[in-house]
Amino acid sequence: MASGESDDSKKPRRDFLAIAVGGSAAAFGVAAGYPVMRFVSPPATLSSGPVIVGKIDELPVGSSKTVVVDERPVLVIRAADGTVRAFSALCTHLQCVVAYSAERNQIECPCHRGVYSAAGENLSGPPPRPLEEIAVTISDGNVVVGAA
Amino acid sequence: VKAWLKDRIGWDAIRSSLAAHRAPHRSFFFYLGGITLFALLVQVASGLLLVLYYQPDAAQAYGSVQRIAGEVPYGNLVRNVHAWGADTFVACLFAHFFTVVLRRSFRPPHELPWLSGMVALVGGVGMAFTGAMLPWSETAYMHARVGSELAGQVPFFGAALRGFLRGGQEVGAATLRHAFGFHVAVLPAALTLIVGLHLFFLARKPAVLTDAHASSRTMIPLYPDFFARQSVALVGVLVSIMTLAIFVDRPLGDPADPRISPESPHPPWYFLPVHEIVRAAPRELLGIDGARFLVGGACLVALVAAALPFLDRRGSKITFWSAWVLLLTLILLSTRAIH
Repeated sequence: MASGESDDSKKPRRDFLAIAVGGSAAAFGVAAGYPVMRFVSPPATLSSGPVIVGKIDELPVGSSKTVVVDERPVLVIRAADGTVRAFSALCTHLQCVVAYSAERNQIECPCHRGVYSAAGENLSGPPPRPLEEIAVTISDGNVVVGAA
Repeated sequence: VKAWLKDRIGWDAIRSSLAAHRAPHRSFFFYLGGITLFALLVQVASGLLLVLYYQPDAAQAYGSVQRIAGEVPYGNLVRNVHAWGADTFVACLFAHFFTVVLRRSFRPPHELPWLSGMVALVGGVGMAFTGAMLPWSETAYMHARVGSELAGQVPFFGAALRGFLRGGQEVGAATLRHAFGFHVAVLPAALTLIVGLHLFFLARKPAVLTDAHASSRTMIPLYPDFFARQSVALVGVLVSIMTLAIFVDRPLGDPADPRISPESPHPPWYFLPVHEIVRAAPRELLGIDGARFLVGGACLVALVAAALPFLDRRGSKITFWSAWVLLLTLILLSTRAIH
């Protein structure tokens, strides 16, 4: 067994080794960790562009249709006055998919009982904000959402 | 051969070391940790079989689960075992957690078994969360959407967590691939490590009875006495899971459709309290978005729970009664959500 004196004399060298090894390990961890973090964070996806919902004649007054645009559901409503409006069909509370009730002329979320007006305003229940409105155009008799 | 094997693995030393360990046996609750680990092993075994047929692709996942249940010999049984096994695992995990809190077994010197157990609890809930997405049914899709959105409300790094869980901004094909990768590779590897550490820490600082009733009579040798009793409990659990798997089917529901919500959307039973709270919560609490406030509060409770051995070194009555209040609240909220 080494004497106390020689242990003491080796101490600074041991400390230096511990710091060198620990520092190298930490540097390697950061160097390897950053690319891994970037790899697992998904890259932004490009929009697939406008989506044709269907012919305007196929969307009677007071009816609705839900389509998927860039993996997001979009609710298209043809109001009583014939105008067409589109909203993100994701509830602003926790993103359940909302649906239009023609009977009650309102948009409803079944998950936590949120209610919006047919114009997308949050009326009751937990939703904190109105539904996000999405651009809609009528082109050659087609209803197009997500138009640039 | 037996003598040769015993010699090579040094069985006599292992046996005497195990026999020297004393374990409390008075109550069923001492066996919950072992039962939870066993339920996890049932999940590993049934999951290894399911992965032979399951296809982690948004267009094919639902169909592949349907084929497992309908066409593969004993496929429905294996799927049912995995579904009931998952419920058993989560139930035992929470029962184990509450038992340890109520008995205040987190007290020093058990900080490390407690902390590793808390990490394992998070990993276990992660397994349940990712697993529930995999059938890519209507309910699974809604579960993925609402679950990741709730995770997005976590203070400071919620947005990053949501993007990470979804594999992008939206719930879609990438979400399912992420969930599959985590369910079958990342989380099992992490759980193996953390459960291994949990057992190691427990072996270094074994469970003890600190109350007045502790005596040599209430402590039994870990081997063979405790292991034998534990085995009886495990056989009971296995028989229960198999009986449920054989006689009670787990319906798959309709395939995922991003355009509609299920008619009466209900999360898995262990998320029912959360479902009920976010449904009843006001839009704003103290000027903060209601859901964000609640998730922030839940994170705070979890952090306090993780720090219990350092905050409450003697195991006060406050912790005991707080745990009872929390447990009863969760049960009440679940009951309310069902009705």
